[in-house]
Amino acid sequence: MTKAFVVARWEYFEKIKSKAFLISLFLTPALMVAMSVLPALLASRADTESKVIGIIDQSGEVATPLSKILEERFKLPDGEPNYILQPIGQASDLSAGKRIADSLVLAESMEGYVVVGKSVMTDSIVEYRSENIGNIRVTENINSALRDLIVEKKLTAQGIDPKIVKDLTKPIDLKTIKLAKSGKEEESGFGQVFFTAYIFMMIMFVLILTSGQILVRSMLEEKSNRVVEILMSSCSARELMTGKILGLSGLGLTQMSFWVLMGLLLKLKLAIPMIPVGSLLLILLYIILGYVLYAAIFVAAGSPVSTEQEAQQITSYLVMILVIPIVFAFTVTQNPNTTLVKVLSFIPLLSPSMMIMRIPNQMPSVEEIVLTLILVALTAVAFMWVAGKVFRTTILMYGKRPSLKELLVLIRAA
Amino acid sequence: MLNVSHVRKQYSTVLAVDDVSLTVQRGQILGLLGPNGAGKTTTIRMILNIIRPDAGMITFDGKLFDETIRNNWGYLPEERGLYRKSTLLNTILYFASLKGMEKNEAKRRAYDWLKRFDLLNCFNQPVEALSKGNQQKVQFIISILHQPHLVILDEPFSGLDPLNQILLKDILMELKHQERAIIFSTHQMDQAEKLCDILCLISKGRVVLDGEVAAVKNRYGNNTVHLEYDGDGSFLKMLASIKTAHIYENFAELILEDHSSPSDVLREIAQKVDVKKFEMSQPSLNAIFLALVGNPGPTEKTTEVTQ
Repeated sequence: MTKAFVVARWEYFEKIKSKAFLISLFLTPALMVAMSVLPALLASRADTESKVIGIIDQSGEVATPLSKILEERFKLPDGEPNYILQPIGQASDLSAGKRIADSLVLAESMEGYVVVGKSVMTDSIVEYRSENIGNIRVTENINSALRDLIVEKKLTAQGIDPKIVKDLTKPIDLKTIKLAKSGKEEESGFGQVFFTAYIFMMIMFVLILTSGQILVRSMLEEKSNRVVEILMSSCSARELMTGKILGLSGLGLTQMSFWVLMGLLLKLKLAIPMIPVGSLLLILLYIILGYVLYAAIFVAAGSPVSTEQEAQQITSYLVMILVIPIVFAFTVTQNPNTTLVKVLSFIPLLSPSMMIMRIPNQMPSVEEIVLTLILVALTAVAFMWVAGKVFRTTILMYGKRPSLKELLVLIRAA
Repeated sequence: MLNVSHVRKQYSTVLAVDDVSLTVQRGQILGLLGPNGAGKTTTIRMILNIIRPDAGMITFDGKLFDETIRNNWGYLPEERGLYRKSTLLNTILYFASLKGMEKNEAKRRAYDWLKRFDLLNCFNQPVEALSKGNQQKVQFIISILHQPHLVILDEPFSGLDPLNQILLKDILMELKHQERAIIFSTHQMDQAEKLCDILCLISKGRVVLDGEVAAVKNRYGNNTVHLEYDGDGSFLKMLASIKTAHIYENFAELILEDHSSPSDVLREIAQKVDVKKFEMSQPSLNAIFLALVGNPGPTEKTTEVTQ
């Protein structure tokens, strides 16, 4: 078996210098950060300049208190008010006021404007007109301010003490607490759980895909330059395959450690601190098993390949199988206990990612964990065995890719 | 050293190798000859345990294959290539370590060989920066660096310029004198004729001719004429006294019918063309090859079978 290590060392040190590896090493975390963090960051980024909001107040009761509420509640980071309420035109002439306001909005000197009807106290209808009604933050903020203002006014009109009113209309702050089996409670929301599960699944995908691709490519190269014949005359097929998988696992580990280290250095407290060590180890176990399982598949699928196009095809099929669990990501996070989720967890190819998604969410039962672990491990061993056969019989095949039927015959003969 | 006896290999419908036997001793060079698709490469792969024979036995010094034997042979495959991005020295050292060589020793020998092949100054360059011929030299180094007892070279001369062909031939003779067993396959019969001690000619998976080169030639008798001439020689193949004629530009190798006398033939020929040289000799391997594996046509300008 020492030859397997020689192969592993070569694969590791040659591939670690390859462009594909370096790209995935740096690009993947960058992409993940970009895809998951940036939109949230951008969406929740505070304004830096005050926005002018116009108001045409036909009731005559709203403009002044609304201006006060907006000023109190929403401030820019530098302390200036976020929104400046600007009364427009004469309350009596609505159409003239709208014309002026429209032109101001279109000239971009005003974000938008609110039209408050005469009967606002009875029908609670207010119009917000803007060029950019997709800006949820603005509409949401004006909406909440208006709602509070009108409710308060209505209650006061009923003769209730403004102090009590304030108390009654205090908005609800819904905190979501995740309960763990151990009885510990921690504050975390749907988003966080989803994100954690997602991150781990992504890590596994990227590991499998980069190594898988590197593996198929390296086999293709050895095949097309016929180095494989020298290799096969120097060591057994099993040693060669073991060496390749070992070397690639080394690459995968390097990749993972690098990312963890980078995450820690950047103090991007991603998902890792949010879950207990036990779950983390379990997740890592599933990642490793899933990795080995797919490595075997890549070997088996990649060894009959003799052109770049075929390699692409094979990889894309495998990617499709690999990403099936993403479809279920939402279901798993929302309802981790449905029969569907449980059944899917017992399909070996999907099992690792399903369990990785379930663990941060709600720890599956011990029986399920043990059974799926055994199942995946056995499948991995079986796949390795088949992969070894396929590898030995097809690595020397050039030209036409064997059909599945031919392949079965060959494997039986090997 | 190596004894292959009655091996057979069938690929689904094709019988690639059928009952092939051959033996090489230390200090011998065996020429494995045969047309394309004859089963040479399959035979080599079976010897190297890359594929397993369906029947028959292969022994090394009387012992069956075991993993340790792998370190004792070296192989230069027919179609060549190496890891393109890796450096020369690293590539050589990798294959050396796969053969169980210690690193420093491997490095020392690698430098020696690179120097001999005039590649020392590019030891740190990626393989892809080298020309095809130079890559082939690197592959050859890989196949012999670990001083194997059995060296198997598939078409070692193709792709080398004449200078390097001579260098390679010298090295092969050295290896022979170091008591190594060498098998090399080739299409170039003149090459085989000069280098080999024994021959094994395979056609359609079967051995059609084997034995020592001199004995083989003797077996094919002395009724061969080497003729050099000026003029149009196309009439040669029509002569009744000539069994087969391989005609080249101003040169022909003629095999006479058993009853015909050489002097009659010479007289006949001299009437048509200007004879420069007329020599009775043993047949060339080329002629034997063509006689055995099917004649592609006597007027072909070159009978060298190319890939």
